[in-house]
Amino acid sequence: MELLNFKKYLNQQWGLPKDAIDQLCDGIRTKKVKKEELLLQAGEICKLTFFVEKGLLRMYALNEKGKEDILQFAPENWLVSDRGSIYFNEPSDYYIDAIEETEVVLLDTEFVDKISALGPSFRKLNDRLLHNHIRHLNKRVKLLLGASAKTRYLNFIKLHPDVLLRVPQWMVASYLGIAPESLSRVRRDLAKENFKQG
Amino acid sequence: MSTRNIELVVPPRPPHFVGDGFRVHNFIPSSFRLTMERMSPFILMDYNSKFYFPPSEQPKGVGVHPHRGFETVTIAYKGKVAHHDSAGGGGIIGEGGVQWMTAASGVLHKEYHEEEFSKTGGDFQMVQLWVNLPAKDKMSKPKYQALNQDDIQSYELENHAGTIEVIAGDYKGIKGSASTFTPMNMYNARLQKEAVADFSFPQTFNTALLVIEGSILVNESEEVPTDHFVLFENDGEDFGIKATEDAVVLILSGEPIDEPIAAQGPFVMNTREELVQAIEDFNMGKFGYLED
Repeated sequence: MELLNFKKYLNQQWGLPKDAIDQLCDGIRTKKVKKEELLLQAGEICKLTFFVEKGLLRMYALNEKGKEDILQFAPENWLVSDRGSIYFNEPSDYYIDAIEETEVVLLDTEFVDKISALGPSFRKLNDRLLHNHIRHLNKRVKLLLGASAKTRYLNFIKLHPDVLLRVPQWMVASYLGIAPESLSRVRRDLAKENFKQG
Repeated sequence: MSTRNIELVVPPRPPHFVGDGFRVHNFIPSSFRLTMERMSPFILMDYNSKFYFPPSEQPKGVGVHPHRGFETVTIAYKGKVAHHDSAGGGGIIGEGGVQWMTAASGVLHKEYHEEEFSKTGGDFQMVQLWVNLPAKDKMSKPKYQALNQDDIQSYELENHAGTIEVIAGDYKGIKGSASTFTPMNMYNARLQKEAVADFSFPQTFNTALLVIEGSILVNESEEVPTDHFVLFENDGEDFGIKATEDAVVLILSGEPIDEPIAAQGPFVMNTREELVQAIEDFNMGKFGYLED
């Protein structure tokens, strides 16, 4: 695996120079994940964070009706994991699987130790990532609690412009917490507003 | 007169499913050396080699998806496909028929096995090509050209040894039924065993063939079996084929469009910015709406 995206991520997000990146990537674990292959199952303790080099993962839970509720999509350059399960060493409620054939970089505690050893800035940057994650989750809760289907959709296409092209519509509806029919209605209404024939 | 030699004979890659109705071998752009740039204006070729689909109450196919910036050409050899689009168009492509859809500024469409075919099941065999559009036409109005086999003019080979159906371009004075934005030739050669046919295209035209049925001898030297693809060098104009058994051969030759290609999923534009715009327009409903 070439790890072009991962190396770019380490450089841009973590400000690491080339030799530090090469050192980190030396012997790093990667995995090619088949479509629908699970990387995490509910009941397991999550040990890894997944960086998506190429492809598309999702994290979901099974609700009381046995239906999948999608919490997160992770296309290229996204990280996905159950941070709570890793940190508190407790069984996860979530599943992570691949929507497309996907190449992932597996980030374990050894990697975190290695990157921490590179300098004191790691803690600061990790804090920043964690708070960004919390900010994102809060925004998502806010939208799920009070926003119209249209507002949820418009926020979604801003965050993930190309995901609608890559997944079935019901998955997007699940992520948005709306019925597939509501997503169809939103898209039909937008088409009525914006579609100019000829 | 100069011979156009074979550059590469390409066996079919392992098939994959597009939706649940098309089991295709991709030749362009993922086979070795068959990049969009090398094959321009033919920027994608998916080939559903002959495959038996059992009867199904629910027609199999591909759900609603957009296209912008090029044309899709679907050639049916076995089975039937029904299609619908966001501009209100639709139809059925039957055996020997061709649907030439100019997506251009954008359409949403879906393609399924035709209902009756789906119910009875049967052999299914199709080619789908994506033909690039020059920058000046990428945002032109979408349109359809539906050609039944009867609409396609053909050239009779001597002694009734076969026909060359001219889908687009020109073969020995027989004009193709489809209009194109850039110069190209697209034929189905239907040959009886031992029939020979010769072809001549400008040296600069990117030229290839796909053996749909039977097997052929190319330039009296290279035996090419069913489901194999031949890419020709751009080193001459003329080549010949001879059917070593009854054969159907798709012949393609087109003037390359010498412009940058930016492609992502179902969009083929000239720049990254145009791709971003295409995705945004799709998300915002500017391609219209089509029920799944």
